[in-house]
Amino acid sequence: MTTNLPFAIPEVRHEGPLKVTGHARYTADHALPGQLHAACLGSGVAHARIVRIDTTAAEQVPGVRAVLTAADIGDVRYGRQLRDMPVLASDRVRFMGQRVAAVAADTRQAAEEAVRLIDVEYEELPTLLDPRLATTPDAPVLHPEAEAYRLVQGARHAPAHPNIQGELVVGAGAEELAAAFGRADHVFEHTFRTPRQHQGYIEPHAAIVWFDDDVCHVISTNKAPFGLRQQMAAATGHPVDKIVVYNKFIGGDFGGKGFSLDEYVCFYLARETGRPVRSIMSYLEDLSSTAPRHATELTLRTGVTRDGTFVAHSAEVLFDGGAYGAAKANAHLVPHGGVDTMSAYSVPATHHRLTAVYTNAAPGGHMRAPGDVQAIFAGESHVDMIASELGIDPVELRRKNLAGGKTEGQDPSETAAVIDQVLLRAADGIDWSGVRSPGRGVGVALYRRKGGTGRGGVVMRALSPDRIQVITGAADQGGGTVTMIARVAAATMGIPERQVEVVQQPTAEALFDSGAGASRVTRVLGEATRLAATELSRLIAEPGAVFPVEVAQEVVAPADEDCGAYGALAVEVEVDEETGQIRVVEAVLAADTGTVISPLAHRGQLEGGFVYGLGGALMEELPVEGGQIMCGTLGDYKLPTSPDVPPLRIVSVAGESGTGPYGAKAVGEFGNLGVAPAIANAVARASGVRLQQLPLSAEAVHARLRQTGPESAPPREPGG
Amino acid sequence: MSDTSERITLSVNGISQEVTTAPSRSLLEVLREDLALTGAKEGCGVGVCGACSVLVDGKLMSSCIVPVGMVQGRAVTTVEGLAAEDGTLTPVQTAFMECGGFQCGICTPGQVVAATALLRECPDPAAEEVREWMTGNLCRCTGYYSIVAAVLQAAKAGQGESD
Repeated sequence: MTTNLPFAIPEVRHEGPLKVTGHARYTADHALPGQLHAACLGSGVAHARIVRIDTTAAEQVPGVRAVLTAADIGDVRYGRQLRDMPVLASDRVRFMGQRVAAVAADTRQAAEEAVRLIDVEYEELPTLLDPRLATTPDAPVLHPEAEAYRLVQGARHAPAHPNIQGELVVGAGAEELAAAFGRADHVFEHTFRTPRQHQGYIEPHAAIVWFDDDVCHVISTNKAPFGLRQQMAAATGHPVDKIVVYNKFIGGDFGGKGFSLDEYVCFYLARETGRPVRSIMSYLEDLSSTAPRHATELTLRTGVTRDGTFVAHSAEVLFDGGAYGAAKANAHLVPHGGVDTMSAYSVPATHHRLTAVYTNAAPGGHMRAPGDVQAIFAGESHVDMIASELGIDPVELRRKNLAGGKTEGQDPSETAAVIDQVLLRAADGIDWSGVRSPGRGVGVALYRRKGGTGRGGVVMRALSPDRIQVITGAADQGGGTVTMIARVAAATMGIPERQVEVVQQPTAEALFDSGAGASRVTRVLGEATRLAATELSRLIAEPGAVFPVEVAQEVVAPADEDCGAYGALAVEVEVDEETGQIRVVEAVLAADTGTVISPLAHRGQLEGGFVYGLGGALMEELPVEGGQIMCGTLGDYKLPTSPDVPPLRIVSVAGESGTGPYGAKAVGEFGNLGVAPAIANAVARASGVRLQQLPLSAEAVHARLRQTGPESAPPREPGG
Repeated sequence: MSDTSERITLSVNGISQEVTTAPSRSLLEVLREDLALTGAKEGCGVGVCGACSVLVDGKLMSSCIVPVGMVQGRAVTTVEGLAAEDGTLTPVQTAFMECGGFQCGICTPGQVVAATALLRECPDPAAEEVREWMTGNLCRCTGYYSIVAAVLQAAKAGQGESD
């Protein structure tokens, strides 16, 4: 089946000409006749009761067509799952930047001027900013009405404390865990912290909403059009089949574009004015009011025998959920990747408790492998710290504990052999045992990333034997969905790719799709395309086939489908002992990522993922002080630029087949995962400074070198 | 913004344009809203991300922080003005396609304009020079490897663009 497939030839992106000439039209590029411009007033305080809102002056501004507050629209709540976020705050504001009032006007300038003239009187309330205090007796309760909150689908499990958004507990019971720890010769416990980080897409959130009779039309930056449709229907009460979402080009997502805010505001402004209403966030609004990666504290405990075998592991993971749980896409309302602290290892007894709590900050959201990034930074740092304590080489300690390698009385499984290869190829690639000059060191991180569950479908239509259309409702956030679908269709039907046209259609004219998230697109839509193409080939080969011939195919990848890819990232760093500056000299990423459908996009995801991880490891942090973000622009919120990027080598390891079409695996949330722990481990080996908090900044290294000198530095091992 | 409107003439992609507007409005906003040229994008809005890159008299600028009054009488080239009238792509545009120099594409107009400006100034840059020049154009998708490769390939292919 997989022989003679044309996937080795690099793809030509179908939308490429539009993108390189500036003709690809993103949400903010649309201008509808008669459209109004929306602007929102964000709260200037972190936690307060709203005493009074005066919009009189705003209404007098020439060109203003509508000014809305919760008094006009009611206490409307929305969310991806938990509907706790008000479209406009009614009685309270819970974070700085939360929408309090909205204006639609003939020009953006008029809308912004009107917003400045809205007068709000607040009665400030005590703030809750430290998630560790959320369930203490003195903590202010942020959502006294939490019991009334509903999920978009299904019932909500009532939390133990009103300040808890969500909780997930998995693994061994208390007795089993205690017994397992009892078998350990050593128990190691370490705590790690990761900051709030913004996705940093270059396209801020935007939306246009208009009504045509009772049909609500939406163009927006949301990467899950069917999800948005459902969430808007649940919040507004507008029938789901009377909402049509058109999203096509998404200017960067990284998890942040699954959550919509101003689509709801525009809905009410458009309904009020009878005109199309467009909202384009400023980057300041995006930084302050959309849903960044959860700041997280993780305490890991691992029991180890004398020879370095892991026998028990537990993790307490506390997520700063911010003021609303609305941005989380799963019903247990925690970034579920938090369970992946030991993703590549076999540990007989494990226990994970993940908790997300309310605080007076912007809602915590999803960002490229939500929860996994935090868990793998902590877990892979923890493993190196254990290796150092036991005096075992970090690569050898990992090899001793590989997942799939510990079945009693049996040889290591095929899985363990693959992981071993992944690890060794990365280590060899960086010359693990080589002799290095002072200030230099190598580090490695090993991980598994599960990917690709959800639901989606395509309609395939043969207009003639050599003219095939594939209709999808998916938005393309950059991963290359359209081209991937065309390549799978062409390969399956054995026809040239130019005979396949992929048509992105609005929600009303396409099969349901879960959206471009959770690394699912190739797995779900690619497989739907393969199945549809197989059936279409059969149908058009039948004697007397009448064109057009059409096939509809849906695929559901169940949530418990367990297909993962293993990755190992090895880096060499240089630490300047005067300044603390960390320079990544070189990196090697080894991965078993299955069959590659689109080589350029695949490499692009791994390279781009690596640099995404590099930013998260070394520079990105969205600090909040007193409820206020301390980075207001992309000039302050540092992202990697081209000179920041070290050489990267990618090594492909043939592993187990994936569940995507022709054995493809997910890579969208893969390349970023090992970067922070690999660098932290390399820094420890280069300088003796062990950082347990991101970002791994020069300031942090410098402070540690100055305060304590290289503390309890592990003996420099060969290659360290 | 309530300052008085002025009549401003400028050349955009070789076509003479006249707009009546407040001179303090950004060139980017005038291009996008008044002239319907939406190739240049608004990202950061403060001149650091490069998504709004255009050429003013051949010089690379972030149009989100250029007041339109400043370009009175000058020649502006946007990404829409690079390809030939028959749609033939420039070597830079072709190289971005062939090297996978974009994913989501939101920064791509700016990257293409910036790369074009570089190759006009320095037709045969070293990789290090490309990386330094492209510092002003953030890309969140690619990690820059394929962008640098595209610029080098375009340089090899001859020149960014012939005027």
